[in-house]
Amino acid sequence: MARQIFGAWLLAVVLSRLTNPLLAHHSFGAEYDANKPITLTGVVTRIDWTNPHSYFYLDVTDDKGNVANWKFEGYPPNALSRTGWKREATMKPGDKVTVFGWRARDASNLAHSREVTFADGKKLFFGPPAGTGDGGTTPAVKVP
Amino acid sequence: MTRGFLVAAIVAMAWSSAFLSAQNAARGTARASGKSAAPRASDGKPDLTGVWQGASNRRGTWEEANSGLGVGGTGRDPSAPANPASQQVITEPAPYQPWAAARVLESFNKRGIDDPAALCLPLGLPRVTIVGLFPIQIVQTPKQIVILYEYMHIFRVIPLNGKHADDVVPTYMGDSAGHWEGDTLVVDVIGFNDKTWLTGTGTFHSEALHLTERYTRVDKDQINYDVTIDDPKVLTRPWTIHTTIMLREGTRVQEYVCAENNLDPARYEKLLKEGINFTRQ
Repeated sequence: MARQIFGAWLLAVVLSRLTNPLLAHHSFGAEYDANKPITLTGVVTRIDWTNPHSYFYLDVTDDKGNVANWKFEGYPPNALSRTGWKREATMKPGDKVTVFGWRARDASNLAHSREVTFADGKKLFFGPPAGTGDGGTTPAVKVP
Repeated sequence: MTRGFLVAAIVAMAWSSAFLSAQNAARGTARASGKSAAPRASDGKPDLTGVWQGASNRRGTWEEANSGLGVGGTGRDPSAPANPASQQVITEPAPYQPWAAARVLESFNKRGIDDPAALCLPLGLPRVTIVGLFPIQIVQTPKQIVILYEYMHIFRVIPLNGKHADDVVPTYMGDSAGHWEGDTLVVDVIGFNDKTWLTGTGTFHSEALHLTERYTRVDKDQINYDVTIDDPKVLTRPWTIHTTIMLREGTRVQEYVCAENNLDPARYEKLLKEGINFTRQ
């Protein structure tokens, strides 16, 4: 057991030094800001099941009653199907959902969606973690 | 020999030793828990046929191996950043020549805005093998092996006579020639263009790229994938990457037409035009 724990620790140490191999179609960090997390609740107005990324839109009403339409980017349809999404059943226009993600750098009503919480409390990922596809925290080469 | 060099040499040896121990520990654990032997094809070779997930070390169906966690995620906290340790890719810092390392760093600092994948181009090798989010299907026959990659909807045909085509020209996926060494499939790949990345952000290469891939199905669920990357025009020495490719029974490779609604290049242009700073420095 001690040997296994040591092995696991060693692996963790080694992995921590390595290139982030995570890949996505495009860079998270160029378009979105990991320092600007956002959680919004609203009503789904449209879902685009498209490659290389899917999108959905949400009408979000603020305290003063103003409605803004937000756009969220996420996984392509194939990845969504393997993450538990059913195209015609899981989320439809008119559904009220809460989305956690990160805002676009241009401060528009665009965000990268990570997790969607449905009315019944069920949660599903709609997109990958922050930092996917942008090189992560460590470059592939040693920094001089 | 200077003291600094000596220290560096000792550190390098310790690193190397730790690296191999960890690699073996990880694989030993996987092997110890293996339930079934690798199936054999009619010609007696290990049969690699099946649908697989690269860069994973978890057994089970796609759902069992990825639920709760999400590919690349920690699962404990959705707001947590991408977690390299959740993927099983064991490598070392890439041994680029100094001028080339500077170019890799430039891409990293630009957060990969220059990623060829953002243009929906084929991913090249070995990168497409370690895209954990998308499955890979291997179809094996006695004379050739076909690999279907869902990501970018691309394929490779690998003849098993060990011979390259006699009219190789530079391409995204190169020209593959395979042969068996015991129970290991060895694939020699040449004929690459210089338009793809090897693994992570900015890992470019030249047309001199030469890969030696080794696929060893150690049990029913696991292929050990070891690839040696040789490119004397940009690397100081061959660079080796180890990962595991796990069987995903019940998963199918689906269509992926990247050009359908690719909004990213236009958005990158907008960011640059508006002077929005997204670089690391």
